[in-house]
Amino acid sequence: MPSAVRHFTTTLAESPEPVTDRRGMPPRRIARPASRITVGRIALYLGLIACAFVMLFPFLWTVVTSITPGGTLSQGPTLFVKNPTLDAYRTLFATLPMWRIVLNSFAVAVVATVLQLITGSMAGYAFGRMSFRGRGVVFGAYLATLMVPLQVLVVPLFIEMKVLTLQDTYFSLLAPSMASALGVFLLKQAIEALPRELDEAAVIDGAGHLRIFTTIVLPLIRPSLATVAILAFMASWNSFLWPLVVIRSPELMTLPLGLSALHGQYTTAWDVVMAGSVVSIIPIAVVYVLAQRHIIAGLAHTGIK
Amino acid sequence: MNRNRIRLLAAGTGLLALLLAACSQGSASQPPSPAGNDTTSSSPAPVTSSSDTASAATGSAGDETSGASSSAASSAPESSSAPQVTGDITYMEFSSNGGHEKDLAAIVDAFEKANPGITVTVQTLPYADYFTKLQTAIAGGTAADAFELDYQHFVSYSSSGALAELPNVDATPYKKSLIDAFAVDGKQFGLPESFSDVVLFYNKTLFDAAGVDTPTDDWTWADEKAAAEKLTDKAKGVWGDYQPISYNEFYKVLAQNGGQFFNEDKTKATFDSPAGIEAAHWLTDKSGSVMPTAADGAGTPDFDTNLFKDGKLAMWHTGIWMFGALADVPFDWDIAVEPGNTTKASAMFANAVAVSASSKNAAAAQKWLEFLTSSDAMVNTRLGSGWELPPIGDESKLGAYLDQPKPANRKAVFDALDNAVLPPTIESQQEMQDAIDDALTGAAAGNTTVEDSLPAAAATVTSLLGG
Amino acid sequence: MTTATAQPAPVTARRVRHTRGLPGDRGWRNAFWVLVFLLPSAVPLLLFTVIPMGASIWVSLHKWNLISAPKYAGVDNYVRLLHDPQTGKLFLHTLGYIAGYLPLVYLGGLGLAVMLNKKLAGRTFFRAAVFLPVITSWVVVALVWQWLLNPANGVVNAVLGALHLGQPGWWTDPDWAMPSIILASAWKDLGFVMVIMLAGLQAIPSELQEAATVDGATGWQRFRRITLPLLSPSSFFVVVISLINGLQVFDQVFVMTGGGPQGATQVVVGQIYNLTFRYGRAGDAAALSWLLFVLILVITAAQLAGQRRWVTHA
Repeated sequence: MPSAVRHFTTTLAESPEPVTDRRGMPPRRIARPASRITVGRIALYLGLIACAFVMLFPFLWTVVTSITPGGTLSQGPTLFVKNPTLDAYRTLFATLPMWRIVLNSFAVAVVATVLQLITGSMAGYAFGRMSFRGRGVVFGAYLATLMVPLQVLVVPLFIEMKVLTLQDTYFSLLAPSMASALGVFLLKQAIEALPRELDEAAVIDGAGHLRIFTTIVLPLIRPSLATVAILAFMASWNSFLWPLVVIRSPELMTLPLGLSALHGQYTTAWDVVMAGSVVSIIPIAVVYVLAQRHIIAGLAHTGIK
Repeated sequence: MNRNRIRLLAAGTGLLALLLAACSQGSASQPPSPAGNDTTSSSPAPVTSSSDTASAATGSAGDETSGASSSAASSAPESSSAPQVTGDITYMEFSSNGGHEKDLAAIVDAFEKANPGITVTVQTLPYADYFTKLQTAIAGGTAADAFELDYQHFVSYSSSGALAELPNVDATPYKKSLIDAFAVDGKQFGLPESFSDVVLFYNKTLFDAAGVDTPTDDWTWADEKAAAEKLTDKAKGVWGDYQPISYNEFYKVLAQNGGQFFNEDKTKATFDSPAGIEAAHWLTDKSGSVMPTAADGAGTPDFDTNLFKDGKLAMWHTGIWMFGALADVPFDWDIAVEPGNTTKASAMFANAVAVSASSKNAAAAQKWLEFLTSSDAMVNTRLGSGWELPPIGDESKLGAYLDQPKPANRKAVFDALDNAVLPPTIESQQEMQDAIDDALTGAAAGNTTVEDSLPAAAATVTSLLGG
Repeated sequence: MTTATAQPAPVTARRVRHTRGLPGDRGWRNAFWVLVFLLPSAVPLLLFTVIPMGASIWVSLHKWNLISAPKYAGVDNYVRLLHDPQTGKLFLHTLGYIAGYLPLVYLGGLGLAVMLNKKLAGRTFFRAAVFLPVITSWVVVALVWQWLLNPANGVVNAVLGALHLGQPGWWTDPDWAMPSIILASAWKDLGFVMVIMLAGLQAIPSELQEAATVDGATGWQRFRRITLPLLSPSSFFVVVISLINGLQVFDQVFVMTGGGPQGATQVVVGQIYNLTFRYGRAGDAAALSWLLFVLILVITAAQLAGQRRWVTHA
């Protein structure tokens, strides 16, 4: 793997030149022998394909193990299956209320994502576009919330939930991910990067903060919103320690808890665990592909035509 | 702005301080001191003294317990169920996870049928996450009425006041060494739920092919070593022996070599004695010679299980919980009592169940636990499903277990109990186990030597004993 | 919205950064709008992060094993931690992790973003492929990397052997265990950095590149003078977040080595987890996390102060 990585980093080191070379300029191509470009292209593609394989391999292995009868890990990863079977998936759906679990995870992740987009973009606007006293200190306080590890917050937060009698509810699952300083930070960066001239023009037209925010800023930061959406969704989707602590009812179980329950104290049915991993990866991959479209759509909207 | 933030933090801190103080009831009074029941299972705690229910060792919760139980005091534990004990109770556990959920549900059904006023809601968690969940629940005052513990964790929980005393427990159904293991100063804080032990599994087909005599209950370390060396064939990927390099093996081989883990009054770790060094070498020297190393994959999940199932491991030190996993391997295998050195000793592990000190339904919870640990319904379910063994004293009830065909020498499971040793336990159990694990694996990997690492670990453990 | 960028920014990407708000942004009206925009995030952060943080300060002043009543201990926990030689090692391991991880993941992610920002056949596929490890669970990634880096029969050592290079013991060797974790982590997070950098790249108006091309700038010059400076907000974000996250590295260590061999990869948050949930020393864990907080705070403050120096806004 390091060989692959090394190969891949050397490709990277060389890449900026040819890459920027080619960027959006068919009409006025700067002279370079066509053949060299082709060779570069082929190398680039080979590098990318190798890289993609290295990246995809663990996922492929997960899929393969999940359809191998009595799949174990003893032989190391392989991509060949004798007698593929979906038994592991049947076992998975028989032992766990998988539909419910996936639905729970999905609902919580979607709501957390939407909330973080709203809270994050608004705070990002406040920090990036408004001036008020103590702005730096408040932003620092936001960042400070990222600096204490979750492991140490879990117990106090659980006790707080118990006092508010909110433990073992959907709300308690959401509580710590309604706003994220990480998202605020990213969106503040994006908003600060927008040209000032835009809102100055809008102010002359008589627009207030709300209109500038919704009609000018939000559409322009779509790539960053999509990024925050991916991060927020992923964080919620993979969150383990907090749901473990706060949830008691099986009806509220989320995916990571379900997957963890597949590990026995002494032995583990790896084909079932891998089937569970596949089921847990697919929704998030779909979200990524959708969000990625928005990144590109955002590009179109910033008007590079 | 800064000052505001600080004030805010202070307010939050104060609030939480109040909450914490409010939530940790049940442990306000002096926790009972841990008993001196360390290594051996023969510490004779007077079981009968637990009738002294008025001594509320666990504060307010103890009062509730004694109040509720005095009304139920006349009822004999199993047969005639006291009609006045009712309620919905929660029970949290790990041992049914991964295959025995239905068996536990069957026991619950039988209990609810016999006790119409009580319903039991089971919450099952995987072992790896169980104690994280349990501790947080206790910290928040939301622990289940009854929960499961393994023997290693029992001491810290009982000495922290997290467990309610169980009044009027009838000790007669239980194996004496097991029920005594969960009494502290003569008071019962837990009931044995199940036990298992470690034996020597061997691949008979490999032994026969190599023309080596199969292990007997009289084997010593020297016999095991000689056989392991003959059976190891690295070219074919066949290994002679596998014994995990860990605390759970070490305390046992120490006993097999006549060593003591602690000194008499348990103020000092003594496992770095010459006997201890020799015992540690017995474990670590196997690595790489007759046993796969960490680099070969040892220690990764299910590595040893798969190696044995693939027919590439001749001898395997593991627990009787593996019988189920080996049900349909294509070769002949059997078990024997583990070889000793200067003496015989076999590792025994026990799970216990306890009532939470904060339970509002302690009487019903205790009733459920007594059923769970001593009823015939439980015995039959456990024996029929190959779950860990029931903790009962009447061995005639265990006949069904011995009649099952594989492995042929099932008797060894019980023979091993004649010299069973329970793991040494202290309050800082996990920290002690990690220190010893590190010392042993470091030596096995050649990064350090037993002579250096074991005394260092002993010093660490001694400092943990000081609190 | 297309009209929005009708005025192309000047080719010289460096501009004075102004942070003034809209004209006339003063007084109660302004305060009202600031609150409107901040409260939706401030309230949940306050309730569900800041209050638990405050409580953890309280915990850090107590001896507490979660299952019994906390006992007040003053600053004993801090004093003990500061005297424990183990503490220094935890921080060293953590910083060592960052020192290896950050350059790898930043350069790798940037390179991938630049490559995958081009018009390529199958671009979406490649982007998704690079992102897949980000969303794959650490349990699976750890298994794969333990196998790849297996000292005895792993692919990596097979290749190294064929090249007559050394064959390290990787995660079984105290000296190589941390590099193993770094490799796996950088590999897993490449896609994350790539996504951030891609978003940054796409915010760069292509007019700038084209104008520079007309002016005769070479590819490298354009990358160096236009792309990199205009990416600096994204780079800044990646570096700050990687530092904050890296200082709290836990998952990968937990599943790959569990802090071993012989504690060689035990990191601060790994020890915090152990202290809280395994060793019954929640007070020590809270104290340790506040030591970590101070370190992160200092590093992040230095970053924010340095931001003016190297971050450019279009």
